[in-house]
Amino acid sequence: MRDGIAIARLGVPSVALVTDEFWPQGDFVAESLGMPDAPRLRLPHPVAGTGEASLERIADAIAPTIIEAFVH
Amino acid sequence: MTGMLSAADEAAALERLHELKCTDGLPVVVPTEARVARMALASGLDRDLALGEMGPGKGIATVEKVAVAAVMAGCLPDYMPLVVASVKAVLDPRFDLTEMQATTHCTAPLILINGPARHSIGPIACGFGALGPGHRANASIGRALRLAMINIGGGRPGESDMALLGHPGKFTYCLGEDEEASPFPPLHVDLGFAPEDSTVTVIGAEAPHSVLFSGDRDDPESANRLLECLAIGLANIVTNNAVLTGGAAIVLLNPEHAAVLADAGLTRRRIAERLHGLCAHSPDELARYAAAFAPRRGQSAGSRRRSCFTSPDDILIAVAGGTGLYSMVMPTWCGGPHRNRAVSVVVETDQFCEIPSEGPPSFRDRGTGLQHESTSAPSDRSPIRLRHNPFR
Repeated sequence: MRDGIAIARLGVPSVALVTDEFWPQGDFVAESLGMPDAPRLRLPHPVAGTGEASLERIADAIAPTIIEAFVH
Repeated sequence: MTGMLSAADEAAALERLHELKCTDGLPVVVPTEARVARMALASGLDRDLALGEMGPGKGIATVEKVAVAAVMAGCLPDYMPLVVASVKAVLDPRFDLTEMQATTHCTAPLILINGPARHSIGPIACGFGALGPGHRANASIGRALRLAMINIGGGRPGESDMALLGHPGKFTYCLGEDEEASPFPPLHVDLGFAPEDSTVTVIGAEAPHSVLFSGDRDDPESANRLLECLAIGLANIVTNNAVLTGGAAIVLLNPEHAAVLADAGLTRRRIAERLHGLCAHSPDELARYAAAFAPRRGQSAGSRRRSCFTSPDDILIAVAGGTGLYSMVMPTWCGGPHRNRAVSVVVETDQFCEIPSEGPPSFRDRGTGLQHESTSAPSDRSPIRLRHNPFR
């Protein structure tokens, strides 16, 4: 979340990917950094360590939504 | 000036503070306007003085807000110079407090106090059980820093403080170096401060790991074996120090273990250099237990061992605790832009303002328990106003 906001502040469009368990922290960071509506998308938790097949499934599922978020 | 809440009595005020997630889960002293004013006055500093911005919530740590935390933690006004110094230390950008508060690692700021303030304030326990219960100054100063991190910094579990489990040192984690029982110069002197200075050194640390070692004066290898034991504890292969490398760590030698090393001719610097060499793993070893992190280290394979530490300077060594078999080591998180550096600041004792006693409460023992009478503190039935700042 913090990275996404830092990138956005540089003028580069960004969408933060936040896992389910970290969603409240994402809200907190976005609020405290003064960008409460910073774009973010929810991923299942955990992502790390779930294996390549799982990562590909998650990426395939979320990719269109990421593109959609950038377009709008 | 911080916001005000009101409550019908102390008990209601305490429950309100729990509801607002302003406590550490234990009862706190209710920060009434009068109590906070006394605490802030004792600091000798302007109550609106901003010590810095505290992450991740970006709250402004004014002297008054720090005083709120000190009251809630149960500090005496005398402790304020140490509480203020501890807050200033964690606000140093090199400490990476924002990242530290948010990590999934269990890290908590350990406060190590050096110099004459150990005696003039508190006193600060440095010997037997210094990290355990029963020492008011140690307990409440460490707790005040935690309550500041909760209420000013906004570090709350599962919302902004994402430590998966945390550790008990997140309630309070504070002790002094036992300079009088140490064969080495005080830590702060070796760090470049004057002997007459008092300092607070903070380092984000794991819970203490006990290191068992029984010395033998007839064994010329005793010091070497002790160093090896400390190194095993300090950088065992599942610690962040071993896997991520490049961080700092702290060793608390009990006086007996310190003497074993000093009798072998080892200075604090030489001990750190030896530990720097002994705390090492090979890429092959790390690949087995921490494969996911091996690429970050730019290592693929090999049996040549590399130190877990960039420099011996990253291994703090202090003397504390009772005399006996056990020393302690605290590995660290090793994260954040500065990789978990320790920060030391001078305690400004000359600013301290001695204030009149609030009037000690009197106790009467009627055989069935203690009854408490106080002439100045609000009674449980009095409407009270309390100072606090739940959301900055």
